[in-house]
Amino acid sequence: MKYDAFFELAKSKGIAESQIQISRSNSLSIKLFHHEIDNYKVADSQSIVACGVYNGKFGFAMTQKLNKDTFAFLVDQIILTASTSEKEGIAELFKGSEKYHKKNVFNKELASIPVEKKIAVLHQIEDGLFAYDKRIVEVEEVDYSEKEISSEFYNSFGLKLKQKSNYYYFVGAAEAKQGEEIKTDYEFFGDCDFSKFDPKPFIEKIGRKAIAKFGGIQCASGNYPTILHSDIVAALVEYYLHSASSDEVQRKSSFLIGKLGQQIASKKLTIEEKPLTKNIYFSYFDDEGVATYNKAIVKKGVLQTYFYNRETAKKDGVQSTGNGVWEGAKIGVGFSNVFVKPGKASFDELASSIKEGVYITDIAGLGTGMNDQSGDFSCQAQGFMIRDGKIAEPLNLITLSGNLLKMFQDLKGFDNAVELKDSSISCADAYIKAMAIGGK
Amino acid sequence: MISKSLALQVLNAALATGGDYAEIYVEQNDSDVVMLENGKVESCGGPETYGAGIRILKGLRSVYGYTSDLKEKSLLALAGKLAGAYEGERAITVTSVEKQHVKEINKLQVHYKDIPVQDKIAYLKEWYQITSSVDPRIVRVQNALISNLKQIEIYAAEGPVAKLYENTEERGRVIDVAVAASEQGQIENAFAGPGRFADFNWFKNVLDYKAKAKDVGEKAIMMLTAKECPSGRFPVVIANGWGGVIFHEACGHSLEATATAKHLSVFSDSIGQQIANPIVSAFDDGTLPNEWGSNNIDSEGHVTQKNQLIKDGICVGFLVDKFNARRLKMDANGCSRRESYRYEPTSRMSNTYIAAGKDKAEDIIKDTKLGIYVANFGGGSVEPTTGEFNFSASEAYIIRDGQICEPVKGCTLIGSGKEVLMNIDRVADNVDLGQGMCGSLSGSIPVNVGQPTIRIKEITVGGRGGKLE
Repeated sequence: MKYDAFFELAKSKGIAESQIQISRSNSLSIKLFHHEIDNYKVADSQSIVACGVYNGKFGFAMTQKLNKDTFAFLVDQIILTASTSEKEGIAELFKGSEKYHKKNVFNKELASIPVEKKIAVLHQIEDGLFAYDKRIVEVEEVDYSEKEISSEFYNSFGLKLKQKSNYYYFVGAAEAKQGEEIKTDYEFFGDCDFSKFDPKPFIEKIGRKAIAKFGGIQCASGNYPTILHSDIVAALVEYYLHSASSDEVQRKSSFLIGKLGQQIASKKLTIEEKPLTKNIYFSYFDDEGVATYNKAIVKKGVLQTYFYNRETAKKDGVQSTGNGVWEGAKIGVGFSNVFVKPGKASFDELASSIKEGVYITDIAGLGTGMNDQSGDFSCQAQGFMIRDGKIAEPLNLITLSGNLLKMFQDLKGFDNAVELKDSSISCADAYIKAMAIGGK
Repeated sequence: MISKSLALQVLNAALATGGDYAEIYVEQNDSDVVMLENGKVESCGGPETYGAGIRILKGLRSVYGYTSDLKEKSLLALAGKLAGAYEGERAITVTSVEKQHVKEINKLQVHYKDIPVQDKIAYLKEWYQITSSVDPRIVRVQNALISNLKQIEIYAAEGPVAKLYENTEERGRVIDVAVAASEQGQIENAFAGPGRFADFNWFKNVLDYKAKAKDVGEKAIMMLTAKECPSGRFPVVIANGWGGVIFHEACGHSLEATATAKHLSVFSDSIGQQIANPIVSAFDDGTLPNEWGSNNIDSEGHVTQKNQLIKDGICVGFLVDKFNARRLKMDANGCSRRESYRYEPTSRMSNTYIAAGKDKAEDIIKDTKLGIYVANFGGGSVEPTTGEFNFSASEAYIIRDGQICEPVKGCTLIGSGKEVLMNIDRVADNVDLGQGMCGSLSGSIPVNVGQPTIRIKEITVGGRGGKLE
């Protein structure tokens, strides 16, 4: 094996166990502005992450510089970093899982589709947006990007794992103007099968959303029955699941401490992590080499498990759930391919019982407005009033505030409009009994 | 990092199809993070980033590519691939490279890598001791010393003689986070993150880190008793320093050429127009010695500058990079920045602040009957096209009858840049700066935000605390 020299060097320097991961990627992105290719970008890069156990402690190294000195650099760094570690216990690397569920998610055809065809679609989107409505005065962004990623994993126990994937995505953003009022909206579509992209609904969605925002006002501050668009549900679920990280729980930084097996949310909430789903977020091993598997995290409102890596699992006397991911120089906890079980009702059916409420379609500032330890959040929002079960006047420059734990306890249900988001979370619109809206 | 002869070959390959400007940005970035969890070393070390970006401009078009392989074959292949995006005949042949003098305005005595790791650990343990001993309800303290040593070569050609700029950037930052938990299971946190383009001596000998570490612990405990912030529209007084994030979001991003050049900003046509209350003047200054957002040169080799953006409420300038300068027909002014070689550079802020006014901070508070005092922010974001922004306060209080009263949590301020700048009705004389990371098109970069204490006479405040009384 070509990395034997690394393992031999590591062993000769006293690194009992070691692991090496090599990532390579190449990408292309094209942006259009006013019918011209405004920006064209190509890239290829590689990086090596290595770790090992030295005197019972865990050491780490990472470089993008590949030359004859790379292995020596990695070994020296592992020794240096392990020598300063004050973590309790004896570190051990993973030998390997009994079975791995490898699938081919690489689409060979994507790279062979001529660039001209991809550029033609960009023109189609730009033209389509300008033609959608005369109030669309600018197409701010029409981008196409594609990327191929390969990763290899080897350890000194002889474990070899490889994965190759590719994907593309389109982004469109338009500016609409009516009088002095300016509104913007954007849309994202990603997949690995180029034939799945249909520009027509993509264009219509951007145009419709931007135009619908005109005349937005602030409602009176207060608590309202609230429907959250699936984009917002996905953003909030991501923080909710962050609190299900065993690492955060063990460090007393999660509102889900001591809640395993308990009813933490409405019975309408079921969340599964399905890393083995065959899509662009597929992954069959984690950064420790542990085989991933599909599992329920919350089932009918009951917390089934935390996400574990090997270290946190050992502390709780359980097995790793295959959620070990690199977080800087240490293995942390992460997740991907999350499915939130939808409801059966349509949006109209979900909204029909709301006499006066709000439908939140956009939020901004959640990154800084979220206290992910307490689950309290407050952010900028826009959307529509709901009156007598129907979408009414647009709302702009309002705030949405809540607490994640309380919000999912107040969940009345989801509609059936499931979408897979670029955060790898798949979910529908959610109806929450009441949320705090700030306005006038 | 690459030889002049290789740079010449790459530049000429890049210019083969009629490009009028070619640039190679070569970077080696050695990062180091020493991280402690409850006083014990959790991890240590950081990535070694290495690579080059090649950019070719032709009129109003730009192509960019990067690679982490700096061998001749790889760089020439990348230059050829990028040049292939244009059609045309060569207009420039580069024949020589001339090294440019780069004045060092941010001198460092000692590199972080030369400080023994045990000294860094001992320093962080002091922070931990101080923060954690504030109160037994502090259940977690996470702290880190982050340093980056970035060595850069820029080869830029728009004629037969290419210019070579060599620059070294080195910054350090301490992060201190305290988590406090009440017996009822409530969890709150507080954070400090002082950073400088300066060496370790500044952190040890200039920064009053003992006071900062204590403050982090005290703030986390205080938040356990904070009530939910009320919502509605009312006066807000914003403290000096990191409070300047409001100007950064409400106005700064909208004055970057990356937004104004394509008329994608609310301020695209604002030069010469009044966009703020006449008591407001503002600058972006990349030359402040050793400040977090400062640099000797920008990512295109242009010397950094002090740029006035607003003078007595009138918009007098944008932040302009080389590429967007073409569309704007303006000169670049030393503000082109990027996170790393993986990003094409564009106009970005450095140290951006509202200038001192004539008021006194205490008078502004005294003259406010009912409102909110925001002492610190978590951060914010803006949509430059509409100018609509948001900020989250990490430390805020009710002002009642000119007095700062009880703390509140979960406070968000929202508004539009045009409205909020006109609504600033008091500006104090106590300018200070605060450090943050700014994310935008060319990645995440260190920036200072700053201001004196200011008052916004009315702004929308969001929270779960009902009406302000």
